[in-house]
Formats: sequence, structure tokens, C-alpha cells
Amino acid sequence: MNRLKNIIGTAVLMMLALPVLGQDWIVPDEQAALANPSEYTLDNVKLGKAIYTKNCKSCHGDPGKNNPLALVPVPVDMASEKMQTNSEGSLFYKITNGKGVMPPFESSISENDRWLLVSFIQNYSPGREQVLLDLPPIKAKLLASVNEAQGLVDIMAEYEDANEVYVPLLNAPVIISSKKAFGNLKIGETVTNDQGRAIYTIPENTMGDEHGYLSVVVSLSEEYEAAEVILDKALVGTAKEVPELIRKGVLWSTNNNVSLWVLISYILSTGGAWMVIIYVIVQIVKIKKYSRSS
Amino acid sequence: MQKTESPEESRRKLDKIVSDLTRSILLKDELTRFWFFILIMFAGVGLWGWILQIKNGLGVTGMGDYISWGLYIANFVFFVAISLVGLLISSVLQLLKISWAKPVSRAAEQIAIAAVALAGIIIVMDMGRPDRLLNIFLHGRYASPIVWDLTVVSTYLAISLLLFYIPLIPDLALLHERMGPELPTWKRKLYKVLALGWKGNDLQFKTVYHALRVLMILIIPVGLSIHTVTSWLFAATLRPGWDSTIFGPYFVVGAFVAGTGALIILMYVYRLRYGLKEYYTDMHFDRMGKLLVLVCLVYLYFNINEFFVPVYKMKLAEGVHLKTLFSGGYAFMFWFAQIVGLVLPILLIQLKFFRRPLPLSLISVVILLSAWFKRYLIVIPTMEHPFLPVQNVPESFHHYKPTSTEMLIMLFSFFAALLIISILAKLFPVITIWEVAEEQGIDKEYLTEKSNTQ
Repeated sequence: MNRLKNIIGTAVLMMLALPVLGQDWIVPDEQAALANPSEYTLDNVKLGKAIYTKNCKSCHGDPGKNNPLALVPVPVDMASEKMQTNSEGSLFYKITNGKGVMPPFESSISENDRWLLVSFIQNYSPGREQVLLDLPPIKAKLLASVNEAQGLVDIMAEYEDANEVYVPLLNAPVIISSKKAFGNLKIGETVTNDQGRAIYTIPENTMGDEHGYLSVVVSLSEEYEAAEVILDKALVGTAKEVPELIRKGVLWSTNNNVSLWVLISYILSTGGAWMVIIYVIVQIVKIKKYSRSS
Repeated sequence: MQKTESPEESRRKLDKIVSDLTRSILLKDELTRFWFFILIMFAGVGLWGWILQIKNGLGVTGMGDYISWGLYIANFVFFVAISLVGLLISSVLQLLKISWAKPVSRAAEQIAIAAVALAGIIIVMDMGRPDRLLNIFLHGRYASPIVWDLTVVSTYLAISLLLFYIPLIPDLALLHERMGPELPTWKRKLYKVLALGWKGNDLQFKTVYHALRVLMILIIPVGLSIHTVTSWLFAATLRPGWDSTIFGPYFVVGAFVAGTGALIILMYVYRLRYGLKEYYTDMHFDRMGKLLVLVCLVYLYFNINEFFVPVYKMKLAEGVHLKTLFSGGYAFMFWFAQIVGLVLPILLIQLKFFRRPLPLSLISVVILLSAWFKRYLIVIPTMEHPFLPVQNVPESFHHYKPTSTEMLIMLFSFFAALLIISILAKLFPVITIWEVAEEQGIDKEYLTEKSNTQ
């Protein structure tokens, strides 16, 4: 009995170990030896970061924060030793080809951009100087109003300086987006002037709801910690044609929108069939009743 | 219909019929116990798979973002298909007054009930949140094919149960009268309650005939719609392989093929197990074989239509889909289903030798297997070929491979279906006694008599 237990136990352990064994990711030598053609500069790392944020962050999380998505196997943190022991060529190869849950990016990220990603990962290499520093975000405030007649958004930005006093935030990028059901859709970007002020003209063809209303969201870049300003129901977009069936904004059309012919056919056929079934059940009751007659 | 003269002769004949046809109820040997043990054990193991799935979610299946219909839906279509044999045998053939189909019709109803019940259960098993099933009735949308499907499945189940029950009423009274202590008391009580105090008078028989006739007519549109609506679940989309106008009749005829095959197997098992050679005669198998050739030929015609037209055009997405069927990964299944499961049986069953019980049953097993393949081929390859190419996802999302949990649940569905059939056979005669007696010219008055041999 004990022996059986041992065998089962070993088998279970081996099965548990399988996913771990599967993590050996072998890169061909000539691929691993490739060198990064893009220079390791602040600009390139920044570009790499943008690509990373768009394509990789949702699973791998923020570098050094160990906050990946709970997948099996767990996506490796960019700043971890395991990631950083990869050569430039290996990183490029793995991004290109993917494996298991990690998708291949060969067709969706250009070769140049994949090398920029490698540069970004190298920003966290212990052997290199970190060119893009992850500083704690600066506290900031945003004020914004909308001028519907001219289609303008007027923005004021301030930040907290060393003396904990709010002063105008100069030359900082401001992001303008539109609030949608599943998140914000970026419309454009502007930069504050030397008074901490920016004026953004909403492009003419920006799509609003069926009346042209738009919820404009004004926010600062990640370096700043500032509450975004939401300008609800601003009449600055073009009216969207909404087909009758989805006017109520539900994902699928509801019973209120069901075509009359569908409803009538359904009710008539189902109702008809069940009427007959009930009629037959009445006949069964009759059979019971007739047992009393001779 | 023969005419039997003397009352003694009638009683003697009736005694024999009753003793033959109650064998399925009375058999209590090791094999019966073993059979039920096997059924319950495997159904239980399968059910355990479902418990795992409820606990861990649908992630334990091989289904994913792109291939969201897998083994369960293929199985569902298979079971709905099998259940249509009830419509064919116990309605269409009866209305056409084809008398050899009479003793077969209860077995057909058994299959119909078991298959349609399991079809309903499988749909629930395919749900991530089965506890929300009631919402389909409470908040269902009339424009949704899923709601229609649930409606027809439950309607068909109701009609099949009634069609099973009503011809049973006179038999139940007869069994209650004639059977003694060899039956457990609860069974006799059950017969008494279900017999509704049957006296066998003309009014009662008239009502039974009338109710049966109404049901037989009703089951034709309902039976046709159950499988047509099932086909609309696919055909109401634009996807390659599903976007077809003949999917309704194509499914219905395919269902007749699968159901007839299943019925032949069941007839053979009953004949062998319960010694029913005189009731399921070689003639019955011969006729069933001819029926099978007929439905197979119609199905072949639909298959040619269904594939020839798109193959001639080879539209872009359709072409990709068809190539995987004809020469790609599904080629073996596809050609097996078409040649071994359809063309070959048509050719073979035309020979008298292959219409004999055993060869015909063996061919039916192959037909049933390829009918299952066919359902798998209808559901899965199309899911693998959406119009927008599957890209930037893990390799495993591109193809569907059923997991062990899905296999377990499939195991459950098959063994549960067999269990329902076995329980029905253990509870009630597998052939309608009074109809056989009527056929042999035994007057109805003898049916309600107590047995004179006991």
C-alpha cells in the first residue's frame, strides 16, 4: 500500500514539475549571438518603453515591480535576473518567436521596434547605466474647460515644487482622450506653454455620440500624479449615425428590438405546439375518467 | 391481421406474448447487474469531470477565444440527430400504416427520449455558469437561435415522453393484472398509478388512438424543427462551412441516418438479450436495412450538394476550410465519414446478406461512428477558420484539441443515455404488448383478464 502511495506521489510530483521543465527556452546559438543594431540611448529606451507599454505590459507588468498577470508560467519581470541573463540576441529571438502562452510578435511589431524593446529591457540590466530612471511621480493638478462654439479645450497645469507649493507646469505633454465604454480613446496630445497653459483644438472629424456629444478626458503623462479631468457631454464631436437596433447602446439587441415576424413565428409555433400537447394531456385525463364508464 | 377463433387459443397466444415481452423486466441475472454497474460507474466518473469543470471553470476544456464550440456542441448535435428516429419510426411510418414498424416504435421512442434528454443536459454542461440556466427562460431573447433551440428541445422531449407513455397505458394495466409476486411491489404500484385505472373499454381505446394520432402528426413539425433549428445555430452565421441554405434538410436527413443506425443496434441487442427473435424477425431487419439505404441515399445527395457547390466556387475563406477537410488535418475523418460511413453502407446493404441482423448491426455501428465524426467535422473545422485570420495568439489557440475533462463529460453523456434506455427497458416492455396481440388477432377483451396460467 505504501509503495503504491509512493508511486502515485512521485507521479503527481512529476506532473507538477512538467510545466517547470517546459520552461527551458533554447535559442539557437547564431540567434543568441546577434547584437542590438539600435543604439543604447535615452531616446531609444523611451521609444522602447512606449512599445513595451502597448504590447507587453498587460502581461509582464512594470519592470522591477513584480506585478505580472497570473498566468502559467508566470510572465517574467523585465528587471529580474532571469530576464537579464538573456543576451541581446536571445531577447530579440524570444520576442520574435514567442513560446507557449507568450505570443510571437514577428508579424505585429517591426524588426526595428523589437530591437528597441531589447534596448528598453537593457535599461534594467545590472551591467549598464540606467538611462531612463523610474522616478516617483510628481504631484500635479489639472484644470480644464471646453469651449463648445470653437471646439477648444483650455487646460491649466500646476505641479508641486520642492517647497510643496503649486506652481505652473511648463512644457509638459497633456493627453486629450475621449471616454469610451471600455476605456479612454486618445484623440491627441499638446504641450503646456511657458505659463503652464495649453489650448487644444478638437479635430473636426472626432466622432461623438448620436448627437455629437463627447466626454473629453484631459490627463498628464505617467511622470505626474494628477487626477484626470473629465469634461462630460461636451458638444464638440460630429454626430454618429446609430442604427436603430443598437440605439439603446446594449451589446446585443434586446427583446424590444426583436423583429415582429420573428416574434410572431416564435409565439405561434411554440404556442401551437404546446396547445396540442395540453390537448393530449386532457385526453389522458379523459382516459382516466372513462375507466369509470363500462 | 390474422383471426384467432377459440378463446383458449387466444389466451394461450397472449400468455406467450406476455411471457416473451416481460423478459426485459423480469431478467435479474448477473449480466444485468454488471451492465447497470458499468453504466452507473462510467456515468459517475464522467459526472466527476463535470464537477471539476464547475469548480475550475471552462478553462479546463480545450475551447478558447477562437474555437469556442468543441466536443460538447458536436455531441449535442449528435444526440439531437439520434433522437429524430422517434419521429421517423413512431410517427411517419405509423401514419403511412407500415405495420412492420409497430413493434419497433417503442425502442425508437426510448432512443428519442434518452437522446433528447442528453442533448439538453449537454447544453447545460457547455455553460460556464449552469446556475444561470433559468435566465434563458426569464430573459431570453426571441431573436436568439439558442432560445429557439431550448424551446424545441423541451417541446420534443415532452412529445416523445407522451408518445412513449400513451401506448404504454393498456400494457401497464395488463402487467398490473397479470404479474404476481415476481415483481417488486413498488413496480406493481407504479404500474397501477400509471395505468390510470385502465379498463380497456371502447371509449378508452378510442381516446388512446385519437391522442396517438394527434401526437404523431404534431411530432412531425416539431421533430423537423428541432433539428432544423439546431442547424440554424450554424447556418444563421456567415462562417465558411456553415453559411448554407440547405443546412436544415441536410441535418434532418443526416439525423435519420444516424437514428436508424442506432435503432438497428438497439433492436439487435434486444433480440439477442431478451430472446425476441419472433418479434424482431429477420424481416424487420431486412426492412430496416432498406429504410437505411433510402435515408443514406438521400443523405448522400445532400452531401454532394453541400460540398459540390462551394468546391466549384472555392471562395477564399470557404476554400481554406474545404482544403483542410479534403486534404488537410481532417481528411481522414472526412473521407471515413463519406466513404466508409455512407457510400459503402449504401452499396453493401443492397445485398440481401448484409440486411441480416448481425451484418446490418455491425454496419450500423460504423454508420453511428461516422455520424459522430460528421458532427465533429461540422462544428470544429469551421471554428478554426474565422474570416479574420487568427494571429498574435499562442499556438494552442489556433487548433482545438479536446481535453481529458471534455472526454470525461462526453463519457458521461454516452453512458447516461444508455442508462436511460436500460432503465426504460427494465421498467417497461420494449415492445407494445397489446399492439402485438392485436396484430395476432387476439381480441381486446382478453387483454384485461387475469392470467389463467398463474
